[in-house]
Amino acid sequence: MGQQLNMEQVFQKLGDLKSFFVFGQKVVPVIQKIIDFMRDVVPLLENVNNSIHDSTSKIPKAATQIKNVTNANEIATSEILDIVDSMSLDLTKIRTELADLKNGFFSQRVALEKFGSEFKNLNGKFDALKSGMSIDELENKVTSLESIIDKIGTDSTNITISLQVQDITAQQLASVNHLIQSVQKRLSSLLFDLGKQSGVSIPEFDIDEENRDKSFNEDARYDRGHGKQELVDNIINENKKTSQEEIDKLFAR
Amino acid sequence: MKRVILVADDSPTIRKFVSVALTVKGYDIIACSDGMEALEKIPNNRIDLLITDLNMPNIDGYQLILSIRNNVEFKELPIIVLSSLGGNDDIQRGLECGANSYLIKPFDPKRVLYEVSKYLN
Repeated sequence: MGQQLNMEQVFQKLGDLKSFFVFGQKVVPVIQKIIDFMRDVVPLLENVNNSIHDSTSKIPKAATQIKNVTNANEIATSEILDIVDSMSLDLTKIRTELADLKNGFFSQRVALEKFGSEFKNLNGKFDALKSGMSIDELENKVTSLESIIDKIGTDSTNITISLQVQDITAQQLASVNHLIQSVQKRLSSLLFDLGKQSGVSIPEFDIDEENRDKSFNEDARYDRGHGKQELVDNIINENKKTSQEEIDKLFAR
Repeated sequence: MKRVILVADDSPTIRKFVSVALTVKGYDIIACSDGMEALEKIPNNRIDLLITDLNMPNIDGYQLILSIRNNVEFKELPIIVLSSLGGNDDIQRGLECGANSYLIKPFDPKRVLYEVSKYLN
């Protein structure tokens, strides 16, 4: 009875073993495929690793270049602004000088007319003196010059507004730099993990502290329309209305 | 006596724009690059008005305005925000913190002058 039980157990085990071999026969080709796949993939992974290594080492240079562009733009903008400022001061001087010139000429002309009327033409010599520009002509010339000066003034203001694109660009570049540095950080961490496993040395990267701390608005847009400012003004006016309502309510109690 | 305006902005270009626009009109300008620097300058100078950006390192514009409004000595200081943040929430937050005016970048120097003269003249 006991021997029969033992034999049954042996057959049971043999059955299990047979199933295992059958399973093995099915699995072996799959394993073989996995091995072949790994053989193909390892050089590819090495390539990826090298590419990441290479790209990561280039990132600080890209970040520095972006920073240099920002600095160069800042300097150029500042120089242009100095010139525009100097032009504006010159325009103010020209306006003053022109007004003085106009007043001086006007006074002279009035004196001359008075002189001519008092001394009754001085044997026709007064007509020769009067042959210059009349007061009306002078008035028109000066008005025309003043409008040109005003236009130059408006153009200068517009240049000043347009130059503010530098600030918007600087914020967008700072945003790009931040993104680049985030990518660099992730890649460095990936390389560190890969390096730990493979014993490969990891290059050290300088993270630009100044740029890291630089605050920026990634949504900054150069928009010369007045739409945004009008929106702000509306909100401020709404707030004021509310305040006024609250005050009225308070005094109505 | 010249009125003194403190300009807080991390952009040197904007500091210069504002300085140029206001100096011509006879205001004295003190410039600084962040909120922390502004908070250091306010007690040590006779500041009549503050023009501030919102996005700044160390202490941002919102914190700067709140600090001023919570200070008994300086809580009445007129504050003009000059920012590229033009969303409803940003504007509301700036006003709720205590800004008197809010200007969007790029700004018209004439509008800045107008806002300044509203509080100083």
